[in-house]
Amino acid sequence: MDKSVIFAVAGSGKASLLIERLNEQQRFLIITYTESNYSNLRYKIIQRFGYFPGNISLYTYFKFLHSFCYRPFLRLKKNTKGVTFKLPPTSERFPLTNDRRFMTLGRRLYANRLAKFVEQSNLVGDVIARMEKYFDVFFVDEVQDFAGHDFNFLMAISAAKLDTSFVGDFFQHTFDTSRDGNVNGSLHTDYNAYVARFKSAKLKIDTESLKKSRRCSKSVCEFITEKIGVTIEAHDDRESIVKYEDDPAIVSAIYEDSKTVKLFLKEHYKYNCYSQNWGASKGVDLYQDVCVVLNSSNVKAWHSGSFQGINPETRNKLYVACSRTRGNLTFIPEVLLKTFKRS
Amino acid sequence: MATIRRIVLKNFKRFKNLELEFDPELNLLVGGNEAGKSSVLQALDIVLSASRSKVESLGLETLFNAECISEFLTGGRRITDLPELLLEVYLEGIDGHHELDGRNNSKGIDHLGIKMVCKPVDEYTKEIQTILSEKHDSFPFEYYSVHFQSFSDEAIFPYKKPLKHLLIDSSQINNEYATREYTRSMYATHASVVQRNYHSFEYRKVKSKFKDDVFKEMNDGLDAYKFHVRTSPKANVETDIIITEGDIPIDSKGKGRQCFIKTEFALQNREHALDALLLEEPENHLSHVHMHKLIERIRASVRKQLFIATHSSFIATRLNLKKVLILSEEHPSRPTSLKDLSGGTANFFMKAPDNNVLELALCKKAILVEGDAEFILMDALYRNSSGGASTDTDGIHIISVDGTSFKRYLELAQLLGIKVAAIRDNDRNYKINCVDNYSDYTSASIQIFADKNDARYTFEVCMYQDNKAICDGQFAAGRKTLTV
Repeated sequence: MDKSVIFAVAGSGKASLLIERLNEQQRFLIITYTESNYSNLRYKIIQRFGYFPGNISLYTYFKFLHSFCYRPFLRLKKNTKGVTFKLPPTSERFPLTNDRRFMTLGRRLYANRLAKFVEQSNLVGDVIARMEKYFDVFFVDEVQDFAGHDFNFLMAISAAKLDTSFVGDFFQHTFDTSRDGNVNGSLHTDYNAYVARFKSAKLKIDTESLKKSRRCSKSVCEFITEKIGVTIEAHDDRESIVKYEDDPAIVSAIYEDSKTVKLFLKEHYKYNCYSQNWGASKGVDLYQDVCVVLNSSNVKAWHSGSFQGINPETRNKLYVACSRTRGNLTFIPEVLLKTFKRS
Repeated sequence: MATIRRIVLKNFKRFKNLELEFDPELNLLVGGNEAGKSSVLQALDIVLSASRSKVESLGLETLFNAECISEFLTGGRRITDLPELLLEVYLEGIDGHHELDGRNNSKGIDHLGIKMVCKPVDEYTKEIQTILSEKHDSFPFEYYSVHFQSFSDEAIFPYKKPLKHLLIDSSQINNEYATREYTRSMYATHASVVQRNYHSFEYRKVKSKFKDDVFKEMNDGLDAYKFHVRTSPKANVETDIIITEGDIPIDSKGKGRQCFIKTEFALQNREHALDALLLEEPENHLSHVHMHKLIERIRASVRKQLFIATHSSFIATRLNLKKVLILSEEHPSRPTSLKDLSGGTANFFMKAPDNNVLELALCKKAILVEGDAEFILMDALYRNSSGGASTDTDGIHIISVDGTSFKRYLELAQLLGIKVAAIRDNDRNYKINCVDNYSDYTSASIQIFADKNDARYTFEVCMYQDNKAICDGQFAAGRKTLTV
């Protein structure tokens, strides 16, 4: 039985690696976090086999947690009415032994405490037994997004006697599955400490298999390594153009260009063009050239020559955005788009 | 093979609580009228069909236990006490279906299974409260919801049902709806989904061709409005097919033959075959010869779990008495299984001449006698010695048994806790024949009665000696000659 966590870089083919390992004999459990990655994997599985094989179970994380780990054991007993993604009010404090810590008065489960609830109900062993009964292989994609109680829960169930592969990119950590107070609050602040958590859960650390980006050119990889501070290697020697553009006429032309996606830190929907947010572009593999729109503080960082000092979460999102491109990468200042902005 | 391991019923028809463990091959449900045999089959049918429309067409008021409803209405009428109806079917032998596996069942154990839950909708509790506070005696069934769920709490729909089953109810054998349901189910078990789609497509094509060719002349003579043949959910392959035998539709045959054909056809073993077959009183409409044949077919059936509700001792004993589940009228929640009956006794009854095993099994008190003379006189003797009471009013059954098989019946009585007085001849040795012989069987509720005097060695001898004057008067040789 092999258990490992593979640290990948953007565009290195995480999804492809998982898809290649599938077959129609073993029973696979695949968990991912975002809906967009769920659709992406589903599409690729159907592409590979021509249909969706019955031996593969693909879940988004909360669907797995609720329908596979919670409901079979506790739904009837606790008479709960589904999951809410609202956070528990900070004014209410209940001890761990009180069900109300984990659910609203209307008995809807707090998503961010559901993993803890399963653990608190002494069900981890039962969940592991259930996984072992119905599956042979366990894959988790986007493992970097597991946070809060969910990370602890994932480490606990990784003890299941299944062939296990977790795949993720530490620096693409832009979302958290959930948070609860300061549980695992500093999980993502230090790369080495993060790696150590997997080691102590007896997972092998693989930083080799997916260290080279197939998507990004050598030029883009060098830019990301030097200016953003995330080490990424290119698979080949392709060159492309990375530049900053502030000629208003050219910026307008880029804005109008329906072939080049414009990636915004936030609120891309306020611009009537081909656009997306940095964070939400994660997992997307269909852009050729990418235009990254910088707000004023990030324009400053560009001029200072490095993004390494900016807020870590913003930096991760920027890394995600820059690593979307197969070809050229152009930065433009958001101020020049002011005239296009809808309120 | 998918099998039904257990059923749990709460507040269903006459059962406030019932739990039955099933045999993976054969289950014979036996009981008096109103003991709930058919209800058990119906419960299985409802849960396995996972069809809400089926439940709605039956009506919740017919499915709910009447007692729990009236207890609620005459009690505190509190929202929290509103009764719930629960039917749980525990399954086995289905691999790889984690969506069925969980502990959302009344026993709280990890098991594969599906259930029907019928309970008040929380959102309506305010309205229910209003209705209940008006002191009338109608129960708010309208505010109840019906759900089919697996034990892992996933919703179950008819197309997702994990086990294929069919109910054949001989009392409905001529009913048009039942016949169509039967035909449809059998069609589904004999044709794959791909085949069925192909049939449906071709059928539509043929109808269209018929219109084009045959109706052409007529339609050509019409301008705006033309005739066509109907194709709709109410007119397609599945609604139009029938089953035939020798080109004669089976629904135009006699009831007995229909019962036989339908059961035999359902028993056939095919690739998409049924997992469970529920037979409601298959003995109805069947002649003795056909009953024998049917039993042979049932015995030969493989890879199917059978549930048979029957009144017939013949069916129960011939198939295997050990597989009998007895439902009691007085204690509906306490069924008895005959699985602990010894193999020898079960085999004996399988081969013995026609007998009254179920009469014994279903009664509370019995007098076993050894022959025809005893059987004929027993009622009168009972009346004499009990001061005028009759066996009927006292609920005592008199069963005539071949002398050598007393022990077989006593074993059954022992198992079922039936009070038995067995009356036999001492055959010239009271101690050996009537005391030592039964030492393993007698108890407070089972006693052997015989004359202790070895010289009075049969019932007839005793009768004669005790009634010498009358007998001699009745049967003396002289009486045969007329005096006049």
